[in-house]
Amino acid sequence: MSRRKRMMEDLDQDIREHLETETQDNIERGMSPEEAHYAALRKFGNVTRVKEETREVWSFVWLEQLWQDVRFGLRMLRKSPGFTTVAVLTLALGIGANTAIFSMVNSVLLRPLAYREAQQLYLVREIIPEVSQTYPTLPANLPNFRVWQRECHSFAEVAIVTSTGATMTGYGEAEDIYGGLASANLFDVLGIVPQLGRTFLPQEDTPGKDHVVMLTNAFWRDRFQGDPKIVGRSISLDGMLFQVVGILPASFRSPKGDQFGALTGFPLRTDYFKPLGLDPKQFSPLGEFNYAAVARLKPGTGVGQALAELNVIQARIAKDAKQGLGLRAEIIPLASQVVGTARRGLLLLLGGVGAVLLIVCLNLANLLLVRVPSRMREAGIRTALGASRARLARQLLTESALLAILGGVLGIGLAYFGLRWLVAVAPANLPRIDEVHVDARVLWFTVFLSMLTGILFGALPAWRVAHAEPQQALKAGAVTITEGRPARRLRESLIGFEVGVGTLLLIIAGLLTTSMVRLLGVDKGFSTEHVLTVDVSLPPQRYTKPEQKEEFYNNVLARVRALPGVNFAGWISRLPLEGQEQVDSINVPGRSTTGMQTPLANYRLVSPGYFQSMGIALRQGRLIEPVDHDRHVAVISESVAKKVWPGENPLAKQFHPGGDEKPLSEVIGVVADVRAVALDEPPLLMVYLPAGPASRNYASLVVRAAIVPAALGTVVRGAIRSVDSGVPIRHLRPMSEIVSESVGVRRFQLRLASLFAIFALLLAALGIYGVVGYSVARRRQELGIRMALGAQGSHLRNLVLLQGMSPVVVGWVAGVMAALAAGGLIRGLLFGVPAQDPLTIAGVTLVVLVTAALACYIPARRAMKVDPMVALRYE
Amino acid sequence: MSTKELRERIELLQGTLDLLILRTLLLGPAHGHAIAKAIEFRSDDVLQVEQGSLYPALHRLIKRRWISVQEGTSENNRRAKFYRLTAKGRRQLAVETNKWDKLAGAIARILLPVEQEGKS
Repeated sequence: MSRRKRMMEDLDQDIREHLETETQDNIERGMSPEEAHYAALRKFGNVTRVKEETREVWSFVWLEQLWQDVRFGLRMLRKSPGFTTVAVLTLALGIGANTAIFSMVNSVLLRPLAYREAQQLYLVREIIPEVSQTYPTLPANLPNFRVWQRECHSFAEVAIVTSTGATMTGYGEAEDIYGGLASANLFDVLGIVPQLGRTFLPQEDTPGKDHVVMLTNAFWRDRFQGDPKIVGRSISLDGMLFQVVGILPASFRSPKGDQFGALTGFPLRTDYFKPLGLDPKQFSPLGEFNYAAVARLKPGTGVGQALAELNVIQARIAKDAKQGLGLRAEIIPLASQVVGTARRGLLLLLGGVGAVLLIVCLNLANLLLVRVPSRMREAGIRTALGASRARLARQLLTESALLAILGGVLGIGLAYFGLRWLVAVAPANLPRIDEVHVDARVLWFTVFLSMLTGILFGALPAWRVAHAEPQQALKAGAVTITEGRPARRLRESLIGFEVGVGTLLLIIAGLLTTSMVRLLGVDKGFSTEHVLTVDVSLPPQRYTKPEQKEEFYNNVLARVRALPGVNFAGWISRLPLEGQEQVDSINVPGRSTTGMQTPLANYRLVSPGYFQSMGIALRQGRLIEPVDHDRHVAVISESVAKKVWPGENPLAKQFHPGGDEKPLSEVIGVVADVRAVALDEPPLLMVYLPAGPASRNYASLVVRAAIVPAALGTVVRGAIRSVDSGVPIRHLRPMSEIVSESVGVRRFQLRLASLFAIFALLLAALGIYGVVGYSVARRRQELGIRMALGAQGSHLRNLVLLQGMSPVVVGWVAGVMAALAAGGLIRGLLFGVPAQDPLTIAGVTLVVLVTAALACYIPARRAMKVDPMVALRYE
Repeated sequence: MSTKELRERIELLQGTLDLLILRTLLLGPAHGHAIAKAIEFRSDDVLQVEQGSLYPALHRLIKRRWISVQEGTSENNRRAKFYRLTAKGRRQLAVETNKWDKLAGAIARILLPVEQEGKS
């Protein structure tokens, strides 16, 4: 039995005895028993009230009052279902959107990488000052990595990894799989414990002992149905046997794209890892910068200290190499590289969605303020009856908290679906998108956000009601002809604020849209219309000799060109926008390469017909033709011509492609620059060589047709199959899709930013409509009198319009000024448009003012239609 | 406006009643009726306590652990709840008495000149 209950029972007994004793005393004084009883009761006072007061001593008064407030609040909300629905829905949208975006921010930016003590992990990049204008930093190279491993004491450990690939046979159909070529200690550095088996042993890095692989969890599940017995067995890669020694855990994240630094280019999916198996002596200390180097700093070692030590080592390596080139290093936190530029975009989205919630709050505050006068009377009566201001404020805050909780609960549901949608539409190269999920931190965020929201929009109305003067509230009764000036000011400033925030969001969304339009309209150097691309890879065990490869490529070209509707077809070793590859120097005979900037270019192997298929314009000379297949000729991009032979005619000039030991090639043509990495990055130097005997095992076919690529897909696939059905086709997609994918992150940001901005605008319009509509309803009588005195309807309408629009204009000005001030923050996300773009601002202004005018006009028209007789009789 | 004054008056009354109860129990444990009688008697019936209001006050003191309650038999052989001052209550009584003396002294000092002015 609770103490409270026991005490209350005791009290009953106590009071009974008290009364009996008193009655007894009275009888002893000579009263009749009946008289004595009543006298005792009179002297005691109200028994019920005494009991109640005593009960209060033992109860949690605030809890009971809270329960009262909640019940009363729910009753109030039920009484105005329209308001409640609008409030809960807008809150749910606002809180839901915030929760969803915060989940992304949490997973991408806040949660540590899925490696052990990830904050101690750093990427090591190399810098050759002589090429740093073109390539500020480079990935690491193998011999230097070995030196660091031996000599750099700031590193607890350092590992390197690069991408590789192979064709797997022996398990069903031949399949191209993607892998990582890693130093044996990679998983120790990252702190990954295999789910099954073991990681690599140090000796497995040496050539000949490297025929072991680890499989990623997803690949093991998909390809081997998660069979644990695969560990210990061998699989065939490129015709050679490799023993599976371990399975990586599902929580392990392979690097993707440039997450481990520029120029490393990992595939979106990694299936296996294999140890290096390379002899560092075969490599130059100033070439083959192909590896992402990940170092774990010793605890307590600062980045500056590690870098200083590393730079001493680098300087010595460069000196020993005697090539007249410098060598330095850079150390960056792995986490910041993985997240990369996504950080700014995500924070922008978080800011945007937060602004939307702010508008939701302001709107609700306004809606509640509108309801304040009707609550004033109630508040006045309660104050007169002895309710404290705090008690009244608490009652109103409870109501807004109830709304916020309802909105929050619904919002979590919306966030759940919203997040699934976000992950589905997010581009695959958005970092860590596969790690996005709702965790405890997100839920706490939502709870906190809901509470904050409730207080934010409830505080102002609660304060107003709590400060109701009882006399005034009671005296004025229900009728107040005109509203107090401060009340109107308050609501108008809220509207102004809403419009300001909405304008700011719209301007940002507008700038992002303009950027996107400019970006897609940029001169790519190639055209995408009616262009289909097909990526193939030749199984290396069957295609060993260059002639075999060349024959396959030529046969496919012949078949595809014969297809109806096909205009051109050609091969290239890597498509534009698919990143850099085969970056090498352009060595011009007679020019010293030491101490000077040797230009670095991206080399591509192409077949005849490639330039026509891709629509790359010829500027000078001629294109690669079938006769060139074994000649040492080159087609260069305009940038190469400008950089290497400025002011000269580049035709018939000669150079060594990628090192003095390579045979001289002669420039036969100059073509337009293409955007090889991304649409927003300036064109790189490009050198095109005839594929011929240098043909590789992988290439992309480019087909230009008179018909839409989609219809072409099947027949092109058929043509390739008819040449060799054993050649896997990796991708078959229109070039336009590659372009579209390359701007995926931008498109994603733009989509969300626009969504938030439009939502904000609609909310602001709703707010304006509510306030103006309310003001018209309130002023019916006044408007009626004016009408009766001869005012024109149109005049009254304009009066209302003017009053409604004045806070809008103030808010708009503030929003534009905020956008101008915030320009610097978003400049990095823009392309080809200044942050203060007047055209965008003008466009947004038009949208904001027209929307606001419309929101004012609808209720203003009602002012025109006020019937003076009805209005005067009203009340 | 009037609510504030009313509230202060109640508070003053409550505090005073608590003090009177503690003071009464200093003489020894007593049951509810006896406490009421004692307060009436000792104040020469000036303080007309509504006897019922004693009980919320008693429970407040129990909650604060200034007094304790136990079963007992009253002088006319009835079973009754006896309230007893605790050590904490004893300390509190000293504090409260001190406070009260100060308050009473202060009020007396404030009121005195007014009387003198009125006389002159």
